[in-house]
Amino acid sequence: MSRAELRVGLDVGATHTDGVVVDARDQVLAHAKLPTTPDLRTTLEATGRDLIAQGIDPERVSRVMLSTNDVTDGALRRREVKRVAAIRIGGVVTQALPPLTTWPAGLRRAVDGGTVVVRGGAEYDGTVSAPLDRDAIARFLTSVADRAEAVALTAVFAPVAHDQELEAAELAREVLGPATRVSMSHELGSLGLLERENATILNAALAGAAEQLARVLFAALATSGIAAEPFFTQNDGTLMSLEHAIRFPMLMLGSGASSAIRGAAWLSGLDEGLVVDAGGRAIRIGALVNGAPRESTARALMAGVRVDFQLPELRRLPFGGDSLLTIRNGLVSIEPEIGPGLVFGGARPTLTDAVVAAGRSVPGARPLVSAMGDRLPSVLAQVTDLLADGVDRLKAQQGALPLVVVGGAGALVPDTLEGVAEILRPSEGGLAGAIGAAIAPVSGRADRICANRPDERRRALEETRDDAFARAVHAGADPATLELVEVEEIPLTYLLDPAVRIRVKAAGPRG
Amino acid sequence: VLVRTRLDAFSLPSLARGCAVLAAGGGDTELGLLMALRAVQRNGPVELIDAAALPDRALVMPCALVGAPTVAGERLFSGDEGLVLRAMTERLHGGRVAALMCLEVGGVNGLLPVVWAARMGLPLLDADGAGRSFPQLEQHAMHLAAIAASPVVLTDGRDNTIVVCADDDAAAERLVRRTAAVLGGVCAAALYCLRAEEVLAATVSGSVSHALALGQAATAQPSGVAAALGATVLLVGHVIAVERVSDGGFASGSATIRGFGREDARQVRVEMQNEYLVAFEDGAVRASVPDVIALLSSETGVPIATEELRYGHRVTIIAIRGAALWSTEAGSALTGPAAFGYAVAREPAAERDAHVAS
Repeated sequence: MSRAELRVGLDVGATHTDGVVVDARDQVLAHAKLPTTPDLRTTLEATGRDLIAQGIDPERVSRVMLSTNDVTDGALRRREVKRVAAIRIGGVVTQALPPLTTWPAGLRRAVDGGTVVVRGGAEYDGTVSAPLDRDAIARFLTSVADRAEAVALTAVFAPVAHDQELEAAELAREVLGPATRVSMSHELGSLGLLERENATILNAALAGAAEQLARVLFAALATSGIAAEPFFTQNDGTLMSLEHAIRFPMLMLGSGASSAIRGAAWLSGLDEGLVVDAGGRAIRIGALVNGAPRESTARALMAGVRVDFQLPELRRLPFGGDSLLTIRNGLVSIEPEIGPGLVFGGARPTLTDAVVAAGRSVPGARPLVSAMGDRLPSVLAQVTDLLADGVDRLKAQQGALPLVVVGGAGALVPDTLEGVAEILRPSEGGLAGAIGAAIAPVSGRADRICANRPDERRRALEETRDDAFARAVHAGADPATLELVEVEEIPLTYLLDPAVRIRVKAAGPRG
Repeated sequence: VLVRTRLDAFSLPSLARGCAVLAAGGGDTELGLLMALRAVQRNGPVELIDAAALPDRALVMPCALVGAPTVAGERLFSGDEGLVLRAMTERLHGGRVAALMCLEVGGVNGLLPVVWAARMGLPLLDADGAGRSFPQLEQHAMHLAAIAASPVVLTDGRDNTIVVCADDDAAAERLVRRTAAVLGGVCAAALYCLRAEEVLAATVSGSVSHALALGQAATAQPSGVAAALGATVLLVGHVIAVERVSDGGFASGSATIRGFGREDARQVRVEMQNEYLVAFEDGAVRASVPDVIALLSSETGVPIATEELRYGHRVTIIAIRGAALWSTEAGSALTGPAAFGYAVAREPAAERDAHVAS
C-alpha cells in the first residue's frame, strides 16, 4: 500500500458541513460534523482541523472529494454571475424563442451580456444546414466586448455535429482574446435546444464561482497541510476533476442529494432499494438503482430556468426533526418554522420531541419533561402515512423494497412502514453525504441520433460509447476500469425513416 | 351581444393544458405554450372567432406541425412559417386567407396556429379537424366531408417550400411523411383549406373553446375535474405496471392502474401507441378511441404523456366523449378501435352537455 492512500469526503450543506476520511478499502478512519459558517474557507479549515485531530496524517491524503452545490446554487441566488454573450447558431428557423427569453427577469438581467442568433447549424442526421456566419459572430462580439465576461455557444443539433461550435469558439477567442471563457453546448447537454442552451449559458455565468471555489479549497487544504488532488461532485453524484469543474461549473448545481443517496447505498450495502434522508428541515426520499440514485424523468428547473439535468428523482416532505409543533384544541400540527426542540434545550416542541415522547431513541436528546408529552406522539401517525406514501411513489414496481434511513432525524422513520420489506439504519448515516462524495465514481455521458437500422445503430452505439468513455477519462476516470452503466435507446416518434436516439453513460473509479 | 374570446397571456396556459388533455397522452405542449406566449407578447392577442363572423367564400387555412416533435424540440420554429404557408396557399387557391384554423386541437398543434395567427394579425377559428389529435392525416372531419387535404403546403421555416398535390388523402399521407423527412424531420403544413361556408359541416365546431374550458378545469382537484370537464372518471388510482414494446418507431405498450381505498380491488389496463387508445377493466372495454382517454396527475391535474408514464404515478383516468361525427359509420371506421388494430367494440363515453362557448 502506498503512503498516500487516504481520501477525504466533504459535504458542505446549508446548515452543517460533514467530513470523513476513508482508506483505500473505503473504511472510515475519521469523521467530523460542524455547523456551516458564511465563510466557506473557515468552515473547510475547521473541518480539516477536526479530522486531522483524530490522528490523520495530512500527508497521506491523496484526494479530496467535495460535495457543495451550495456554492453554485448560492451564486445564482445572489446573482454573483458573469455577464454572458449568448450566441445561438441556427438561423431564423429558431427565432420563435430567442436566447434568454424564457428566463426569470431578475436572473436574465444579471446574466444578459447580449444575445444573437446567427446562420448555421445542422440537421438531425448531422448534415450542415448552413455554413457558420463568421461575420455576424465577429460583429456581435465586437459590439458586446465591453460588457460580456463569458461566451455561451449553442448550435442546432450540436449533439450530433459540433464542428461549428468549435469554429465559433476559436473565433470568439480571436475577437475577445485567448483567455475568454467559452462554454459550448455539445459538452453540456443533449437534444432539446432550449434546455441545452440554458445549461450552456448558466455554465458560462458560473465561471467565476467555480474558480473562486477552487481558490478557497486550495487555501483551506494548504492550511490543513493537505496537498491532495481535488474532485467535485456533479448533479448525478458522480465525480469530476478540478479542471473539469472549472470548465463545467453548471454540473455542480443540485448535487447534494445525490451524494447522500450514494452514501446511503455504500453504508448499507444495498444496490436496489429506497433511501430516506431525514434532516432537520426536510425529509428527502430517493431510489437506488445499481447503487446509484435513480434519475428523474421530469424536466428540471434550476433557479427558474429549464435545463435537462440528470437530477436524482426525489420526493421532498417539507418537515424534519426540527419542525416546530403547535397544539390547538388537542390537535397537534406541524409548523413551517424550525427550532431546537425541548429535548435539545429549546422552548417549543418539535417533531423530535414527539419521537422521544413516543419512546424512540434519539442520540443526544435529554429526557422529555413536559405535560405535552402525552399528546405529541399523535402527530407521528400523520408523519408515518406521508412517509409510506412518499416511499411508495418512489418505487419503480410493485412489491416491498428495503429502505435505508440516513440523516440526523432518522428517528422520524418508524421501525415498520407499509410497502417496506426491511429498514436499515447504518450507524454512520449522519455522514452519508460526505461518504457518498468520498466513494463516488467518475462519469461521462454522450448522446446521438441515428437511423433505426441494425448497422447504423451498431456504429452509432460504438461512437456514443467512445464519446462517453473519452468524457469520463477527461473528467478524471481510470480508463482501465471504465464501464457502461447506462444505455438507453429511444425511438423518435412520427418520423418516416425510423430514427433512434442513443444515450450512454460510462462510469468508473478515479484514475 | 357577441362576446369575443381573446387568446392572450392569461388564457394561453389554460389552452395549453386543455390541448395536452386532448392529445390523449400523445405529447406535451410546453414548447408550444412558450412560443405562443412570446408571439402574443410581441404581436398582441389572437381573436377567436366563429365561422359565422366570416363571409361565406372567405378562405380558411388549417395548419399544423408535421413530423417528429423531438426534432422540433431541437430546431424550434421561426414563428414566420405561417407567412410562407399563407403566401403559397393564396397563390394556390386564389384570394386572401381570412382566418387560420388548428388542423387538430390536441398537443402542440393547438398552439402553433396561435403563434402564426399572432404574427400575421389574423383571427383563429373556434374549430378544428378532430376535436383532439389523431396520428393519421386522413383522421380529420374535412376528409369525411370530402374536402381534399391537397394541395398540402410544407415549409421548413427557412424559405424551402414543397407543395404536395396527391391523388387522394391516403397518398397525401404517404407523400407528406416523406416530404417532412426531406425538410429536416419536422415542418409546418397547411392542408385541407376550405371556405367559411363549409366550416360548420366539415369541422368540429367550438373545439378551441372546449380546450380552453378543459384547461381551466384540469387545474382543479381531480375530484372536481369530472364534473367540470363533462368527462367520465374511469378510476382514481396509481400506476402499478407499465409495459413498453418498441416496434418501428412507435412507443407502444400498456399501463395498469389500480384503484385507491375502497376501489383497490379494481384495475384498469390502458393500451397505448403514442396515445392512450383503449381502456379495459375485467376484460371489458371501458373507453376507447375516438373518445379521448387522458391520465391526469392526481397531484397537479397535469395530463401525463405516454412516454412519461411510470410506476407509482397517482392518476385520474378520464374519458371525454369524442366529437359527434366520429360516432357515424364512416367516422368510426376512420377513428374507432379497429383503425388502431384493436378488434373490440367501442364503449362510448357519456355525452357531455353541449358546450357553451364563452
